[in-house]
Amino acid sequence: MKRPPIWVLALLGIVLLTAAVYLIFGSSGKNEAFQPQEEFRLTPWISIHIAGIDMSINKAVLYLFLAAALTCWAMVYIAKRMQEHPNKIQTAVELSYDLTRNNITRGNLQDPVLATKWFAFIATLFFFIWFSNLLGYLPLPTNTHEKIDIFGVQVPALGIYAATANISIPLVLTLVVFVSYNLEGIRTHGFRGYLKTFVPAGITGAGVPFLFVLELISNFVRIISLSVRLFANILAGHLLILFMAGGLVVLLGIPALGVLTLLMAIPFFIFEVALVATLQAFIFATLTSIYIGGATAEGH
Amino acid sequence: MELGVLIAAISDTGISDAGKAIALGVGAGLGSIGAGIGIGLIFASEIESVARQPEMRNELQSIRWLGFALTEAVAFYTFIFGLIAFFL
Repeated sequence: MKRPPIWVLALLGIVLLTAAVYLIFGSSGKNEAFQPQEEFRLTPWISIHIAGIDMSINKAVLYLFLAAALTCWAMVYIAKRMQEHPNKIQTAVELSYDLTRNNITRGNLQDPVLATKWFAFIATLFFFIWFSNLLGYLPLPTNTHEKIDIFGVQVPALGIYAATANISIPLVLTLVVFVSYNLEGIRTHGFRGYLKTFVPAGITGAGVPFLFVLELISNFVRIISLSVRLFANILAGHLLILFMAGGLVVLLGIPALGVLTLLMAIPFFIFEVALVATLQAFIFATLTSIYIGGATAEGH
Repeated sequence: MELGVLIAAISDTGISDAGKAIALGVGAGLGSIGAGIGIGLIFASEIESVARQPEMRNELQSIRWLGFALTEAVAFYTFIFGLIAFFL
């Protein structure tokens, strides 16, 4: 008798396991108490109110500081311990340095003086967003409204969250980018000259005001697209992992579903960590350098 | 008379919640169709280009990721607007 292929056996095993779990545990009905959005709630830990502005320390602030500290520490540590024969970590950092310097900055900013000037800014953006995204997939004990009892000590439950999964941090980064590339454009062309570059060369007459307004709007839409792209990618990734790795099971109260969703959660997690985290940092830095290059280019 | 019943039914919170859920599901689902086609087109044309000119592979790689991320983000825009419709 011919042995069935391995994937048939695997599929059969999964179906049997799901059926067995369903038969043993059954369904406990819909769970109304579990609120998935609680995972993204920002509870103020240390309340700080200055002149009516809420500046409380919460989960997002912790992740922001952690990402900033980790970026500085990792880069300074590697830079201080440069070796003739690089080890694995130094090779990885040198590769990413090469990526930010030659691929992202020099590839999009033709003027070498400009590229040298803006390299530090663009590389910082890349590394900060990269570390922040990667830190977001590391479970840390930050879920303070769900406590676990470990030997009598109330420890906050593990949760994943990223500074970039909150709209405010991508928005601030985007505003910094927006101000920088517009200022760089004005510095190169002068204020009137910069506004003139909005209209493509060779357009005259009635088309000029129309195209000018269109380009001005698209200039401001960049604020939304750049910030929401980063925020939505990270938030959607976290929601996907949350629902697949157990949220759906708890919400619907069917333990058997966990056999199937966990199998999907692992590829999604790998996809998020290996591709999306790096890709979003790369995209943010690349678009920044494209915007700066576009604002300083001769003609449009 | 019937119109009054209809308006009363629409203002019912259960139906309003159902509408929000439909908005999230259908909106995010339809949004992914476009992004899916777009991502397929990007990789298809990249494969075609590399098959024609294998020496261009490294140059095309960064363009591919740029296009992929820009297109993929469109699916998430619809998702975010679906979430806004769901929670507001």
